[in-house]
Amino acid sequence: MKKVKGDQPFQSNPNKEYIRTAFDQPIVEDWFKKVGRPLKYLGLPAQQMLDIVAWQTMLGRFTGIERMENQQHLMFLSANVRDLEHRLYALYGSFDDILIRGRDLYQKSPDWPYDFINLDYFGGFLYSDLSRPKAFRKLIANQAAYERSFLLIVTQHLRDGDSLKEKDKFLADLGDRLKGAILDEKLYSRIDKVIAWYRQASIPDAARQGLYMNFSFRELGEAEHFKVKCRPGIVYAGTGKASMIHFATDFIYQANIAHRATSDQSLLEVINLGLLEARAGTFRSKAFQQPKLTAPKRTS
Amino acid sequence: MSDVTRKGRSETEELVYAAAVLILSEDLYPRKLEIIREYIQNASDALDDYSKIADFVEERWEPVIKVSIQGRSLLIFDTGTGMDDEEMAKLKRIAYSEKKQGEEAGYKGIGRLAGIAVANKLKISSTSYGDPNLHTFEFRAGEMREDVSRKKKAGEQEPASLVINRHTSMSKTEVDAESHYTLVELRDIRDSCLDILEVDPLREYVADIAPVEYAPDSEFQYGSLISRKLRENVPDYSPKAVYLSTSIGERIRVYKPYTDDSKLSEPDFIEVRNPDDSEELLAYCWYASKGLEMLDKIRPAGKIFAIEGDGPERKHRLAGLVYKLFGFSIGDRTLSERTLWTTTLPRARWFTGEIHIVDKNILPTTDRSNFVENEWRAKMYSQARDAIASRLNREAQKISDNRQAFETALRVKQRLEECQKRLSNGQMEQADLKTVRDDVNRELDHLRKRSIKCKDGDVQRQIKEVAILGSAVKQELADPKRLRKAKTIANIETELSMTSKTRKVFEIIMETLQNHFEDKNEYYAVASKIYSALRKKY
Repeated sequence: MKKVKGDQPFQSNPNKEYIRTAFDQPIVEDWFKKVGRPLKYLGLPAQQMLDIVAWQTMLGRFTGIERMENQQHLMFLSANVRDLEHRLYALYGSFDDILIRGRDLYQKSPDWPYDFINLDYFGGFLYSDLSRPKAFRKLIANQAAYERSFLLIVTQHLRDGDSLKEKDKFLADLGDRLKGAILDEKLYSRIDKVIAWYRQASIPDAARQGLYMNFSFRELGEAEHFKVKCRPGIVYAGTGKASMIHFATDFIYQANIAHRATSDQSLLEVINLGLLEARAGTFRSKAFQQPKLTAPKRTS
Repeated sequence: MSDVTRKGRSETEELVYAAAVLILSEDLYPRKLEIIREYIQNASDALDDYSKIADFVEERWEPVIKVSIQGRSLLIFDTGTGMDDEEMAKLKRIAYSEKKQGEEAGYKGIGRLAGIAVANKLKISSTSYGDPNLHTFEFRAGEMREDVSRKKKAGEQEPASLVINRHTSMSKTEVDAESHYTLVELRDIRDSCLDILEVDPLREYVADIAPVEYAPDSEFQYGSLISRKLRENVPDYSPKAVYLSTSIGERIRVYKPYTDDSKLSEPDFIEVRNPDDSEELLAYCWYASKGLEMLDKIRPAGKIFAIEGDGPERKHRLAGLVYKLFGFSIGDRTLSERTLWTTTLPRARWFTGEIHIVDKNILPTTDRSNFVENEWRAKMYSQARDAIASRLNREAQKISDNRQAFETALRVKQRLEECQKRLSNGQMEQADLKTVRDDVNRELDHLRKRSIKCKDGDVQRQIKEVAILGSAVKQELADPKRLRKAKTIANIETELSMTSKTRKVFEIIMETLQNHFEDKNEYYAVASKIYSALRKKY
C-alpha cells in the first residue's frame, strides 16, 4: 500500500536531524546487521514519529508510548498517513509509570523484550521522586529477564529537577570509587583534580550530566549482566533553543554469569569520552573540554 | 406580549434536550458493531467524493479505508475528500447532512456521532485538499453522560445544544495543503462495549456489511466474474480496499466472505426490472448454491448453504441472499426470506448471494435493518418475488432432481459393479440369482424414473452409461457359462465345517427340496434363505 499524499506535514529540528543521520543512523545500521532481522523497537515517538520513519526499513514492530491523549491521537493519524499503523503497538501513559507498574493506563503491557529502545524525553532525567532512574532500572531488568542485548538511545533536557543534588552526591562518590578501582596511588591526585573540575559551579551542567548518565547506564547494565559500551554525550540546541543532551549506548547481555558483568570499556575510557556538540550540521568538541584522566607514563 | 415577540421566542426556544442525544445514539444501535458501519459508510462516501477529482490533482491515488485497534481505541482512516473547518464545525449538528439522498450511502447525519454510544471520547481529525490545516474535533461523551445523568438526578434539564457545546471542542494544526484524509478515533471504549475491539468478529462484520472486493481468483474462482457483472449492471457498484490492522501487528485486506472453501457452485444472475418500464433495472442479483463434487465438477448440491463453523448458526451464516445498497448490507439474510419468499422457506436458504438495489428511490431505514416503506420498495419486492424467489424455487427443484438422479446413478452403478465382480470372481451363488436379478431390474427402473426429471446433460450421460452397464450385467446374469462358476452346495458345507454325517443329511434335504420345486428359481430362492439362516446361526 502506498503512503498517503502529504505524508510529511511535520518539521524536525535541524540539529536533531543531523544527530539522527550522522550519529545514530550508523549505530542503528550496525545493530540491524548484527541482529540479522528487523529490530523490535520501543520508543516515545511523539506525533511525528520521525525516528521511526527514518529507520523504518530496519525496524519490525514498534511500541510507541505517549502520555498525552491528543498527541497519541495525532500519532495514530501519522501512523496511518505514513502507512505504518499495522506495525505500531501503542501504550498510553507516562514512560516511567508504565515501566514501574508494568502496564499502561489501559492495562496493556510493553511487548518485551526489545532490540532498540529510543527514549526522546520531554524533560530531564532527575526529579525529586527519582521515578526516571527507577524506570530505567526496571527497563534494564526486563531486558535482562529475556537475556536480550539492546541499543539504548536517550535524549533529554539538560535542565532537570535535581533537587536532591543527586549529581553532587554522585561526583563525591565517584572519586572514592575510582580510587578503589584503580590501585595505582599515583593516579589519586589526578582523580581528585578531575572530580574537583566537575564540581566547579562555573562548569556547565552538561559536563556533569554527560558523565552522570554514562556512569548510570554502565552501573545499571553491569548489575544486570550486560557489558555496556558508552559513547560521548552530544549536546545541542533543540526546538525552542532548549538545551538537549543525547546518548547512544550498547548493552550486550552476558549469558551464563552469576556475577555482575565487566564491560570491555574501562572506567577511564568512560570518563574520558567527554561531550560533543552538534551545531550547524557538524560535530565539534565542547569549548569547556574536561580534563582527561590518563595513567602516568611508566618509567623503566 | 406582542405577536412578534411571542413568535420570536417560539422560534428560538430549544425544543431538544440533552438526554435526546444519548437516547438517539444508544438506542439506535442495539448491536454495537453497527456503529462501525456508520464510519465505514462515511469513509466510503468520502472516497467516492474524492474519486471525482482525483484524476485532476493526483497521479496515483489509492482509495483506502483502514480500520485498526490500538489499546482501547478503534480507528477508522480514509484517504477520501476530508473536511475543512466549516464542515468540521457541522459535526456537532445532530441529523444534519448535506449528502444527497439516493447518491450517497449515508445521508441522515446521525452516523457521524454514533461513536458516542460506545466510546468515552470521539475524536475526528480531517483535512481536505487545498486546506493547510488539520482540524480535530473532540466529543467528550463520557463526561457528557455523567453531566446529563447528574443533572437529571437533580431535576435539571439542559438544552441539547448547550450540553453539546460544553462537551465538544475543535482545534487545528498546520499540515501539507495537498493532504486529504480523515481519522475517526473511538477512544476509551466503554467497558460494556469492549467486544467491538475483538478482531475476528470485527473482520467478519466488515466483510459481511462493507463494500469490499471479492477475494482474488486464487481464493475465490468466481470473484472476478461476479465483480464484472456487478460493474456492468449496478451503476453505483464501487468496492473499496478495506484493511484491518490488529494489535498483534498484522494487516489484513478484508474481502467478502465467499471463498473456494465455501464450495460454491457456478453463480448465476437475475435482473429485476420495472414492470412499467422494462428498460429500468430495479435490482440485480447474483446467487449460487452449495456445490458438490459431481462428475469432476462442482455442481449445485441442493442443501442448506453451509460453511465450516461451530454450531448451526455459524455454519449457515451465509445461507440466503442479502440486500446491498451502495455496496452496504441492508438487514441480514433473513430479510430477503421474509420479503420475497411466501412459501417453501428452506429453499431460500439453499442459496447464497446478493441483491444489489439499483433504484435510487429505495431508501434504507436509519438502522439499516430494512428499506423505508414506499411505493418503490413495494414494486421492487413484488418484482423480486417473481424474478428471484420463483426462479430460485424452480432452480431448487431442478437442483434437487439433478442431485437425486446423480446419487441414484452412482448407487446403481456401484451395485452393478459389485454384481459384475461377484460374477467374474465366481462368488455369485445360483441361489442369489433371482434376488439379484430383481434388485437390478428395480434399481434400473428407479434410475429411469429419476432420469426423466434430470436436466443436467452430464448427469444424463452418466445415467446412460449406467443403463448400458445395467444391460450388460443383466446379460451376464442370464449367461449359463457365468453361472457355472457359481457356488454349489458344497461351499456351504465347507464354510460351516459340517461333519460327514451332517453333510449327508443336509444334502438329502436339499436334493428333496430341489426335486420338489418345478421352477428352479423358486428352489434357489428357498435355498438362499436356508443358507442365510445357517450362516446367521453358525
